[in-house]
Amino acid sequence: MAVYKRTYKSYDGPLTPAWSRWMIVTRFSYSRLVGFKTNLFLLACLVPAVGFAAYIYLAHNAAVLKSFGGNFASALSIDGKFFFNFCTFQIGLAYLLVAFTGPALVSPDVVNNAMPLYFCRPFSRSEYVAGKMAVLVYLLSLITWVPALVLFALQSSLAGWEWTRANFWIAGAVILAPLISIAILSLIAMAVSAWIKWRAAAGAVILGVFFLGAGFGSAINAVMRTHYGSLINLSQVLNTVWAGVFRQNLDTGLDVLDAWNALAGASLICLWLLFKKVRAFEVVK
Amino acid sequence: MNWQLWLAQIRAVVRLEMRKTFLSRRGLWVYLLAAAPVLLFFGRTVDVMRSREWFDTSVAPHAVSRAALESIQPGANLEDVEARLGEPYSRRVFQSRRHSQTWLSYTDGSNTYTFRFSDGTLEGVSTRDRANFQDDALIYATFFQFFYLRLLIFFGCVGIFVNLFRGEMMNKSLHFYLLAPVRREVLVAGKFVAGLIAASVIFCTSTALQLWMFSIPFHATIESLHAANYIGVTALACLGYGSVFLAAGLIAVNPLLPAAIVLLWEAANLFLPSALKKISIIFYLQSLCPVLAPPEKDMNPLLALLVNSAEPTPAALAILGLLAVTALVLTWSAFRARKLEINYSSD
Repeated sequence: MAVYKRTYKSYDGPLTPAWSRWMIVTRFSYSRLVGFKTNLFLLACLVPAVGFAAYIYLAHNAAVLKSFGGNFASALSIDGKFFFNFCTFQIGLAYLLVAFTGPALVSPDVVNNAMPLYFCRPFSRSEYVAGKMAVLVYLLSLITWVPALVLFALQSSLAGWEWTRANFWIAGAVILAPLISIAILSLIAMAVSAWIKWRAAAGAVILGVFFLGAGFGSAINAVMRTHYGSLINLSQVLNTVWAGVFRQNLDTGLDVLDAWNALAGASLICLWLLFKKVRAFEVVK
Repeated sequence: MNWQLWLAQIRAVVRLEMRKTFLSRRGLWVYLLAAAPVLLFFGRTVDVMRSREWFDTSVAPHAVSRAALESIQPGANLEDVEARLGEPYSRRVFQSRRHSQTWLSYTDGSNTYTFRFSDGTLEGVSTRDRANFQDDALIYATFFQFFYLRLLIFFGCVGIFVNLFRGEMMNKSLHFYLLAPVRREVLVAGKFVAGLIAASVIFCTSTALQLWMFSIPFHATIESLHAANYIGVTALACLGYGSVFLAAGLIAVNPLLPAAIVLLWEAANLFLPSALKKISIIFYLQSLCPVLAPPEKDMNPLLALLVNSAEPTPAALAILGLLAVTALVLTWSAFRARKLEINYSSD
């Protein structure tokens, strides 16, 4: 066919359903982000789960416990506190994972002016954000609430139906509490990634949000003789929310309602920052 | 040895770098870090002066004995508390459809006690002491050692010193320096001096302003504030951390990793054995601080058991130690810089 006859013809193949288009971003971001090192780190993050599983096994194995002698059996209790500790430990690892992988989520698209290419397609900004966020939610879920739920299932199978029925709320708590943290961690990582182009600096800022927030919160509390400084300490805020979800009586110095409000505030700020950058055009000054 | 030429070249590098360090958009957040504590102490000053006037005129006449205030226990009834202590100087009530919250505030003439009632039953008491110089000096020492040195100056130096080499690589402008007839050691020295001047000016000014704000309500003198000590320690912190992060910017493609390792090491210093404590910058800086800050009151008892106190190093030795560490790290950085090659596509 002569070149001049090759006129434009629209694509008439099958279209991706509108509801699942955000997953395309997830698929491609995931394949770019997750390599050998990330997989290795994910595997390493599951090592503590093995330790906690061994603890559950020990707590239910009378023969082994007898060999330790004394009143060892009563010391090993599996309750909300046990799952709270496991999830707290895992979310610490999740935080490290976010600091190292999060900065590479949005910044390449901003640096390479790829936003117009995304949004010239039938694809909304919310779908873009959901697609990118799903990568982190998936990765972080793998090392937080998924192993926690497996541990719960293991404990249920060993402890029996009575225990499961009495403690079924724990299954909800081990899903809900990590998901709250995952949501806020992902939003922070994406907002920072959208605004800071240099990966290393973005990672430092993600670390800084928690470290400096904790430090500055304590400084405000000490200098101003108040407890409201803790509201900018996201670790303490999350700890307070988690204590509520896990029915733990922790004295974090914060009211649960205040903690929820602080989380909502932080999420709104992150979303605002994110949507300021995720646009179909770029203003070049 | 052509010292005159090298000094002239160092001056030229410093001149070029000063503009980049002080006025770059990438470094604006360092100013925010330095301004945050000044704003905090400004807020404190305004609060102390405002509350002092209000306390003397409106609150002090309603003073109740401390023994009576401390005898009230959680679970007490609202009416009983009012009957025992009399009319509070402040009463706040929050009424919803189901619950009512009441806050009654009393004073013993120096501290204020706020009793929180839920549906008429006492749930908690919060005590707030009036500002006094001794307590506030200790709070400032804690703030300075645990927050200002360990976090603000630390992250500020990460921002300034890592940028000296890594920032140039990001901007693809380092080759201009490498192509110039300047020894690499001279380049490292020039960049370090520029970074040190910037960091010292920014953070020492912040320290001076904090102390000034801190002194206003108490009419404190410069000697009683130990201003020279605090400013000196700030400058030495910039020197010590600066050298470490200059080296980190030279060796690591992602300086986040060394920064995180140093942060953890410095944070763990409280718990390290005496011998290991000395392989850190914060140990020498704390030895030079005029007031020794105690560890956190609310520390987990298990962690508190692990706290390891070591004798502070004498001032002269601490300064010499810091200078020696800085010289060592800079020498090593200069040695690395001699072999520095850039490949912008991989960096």
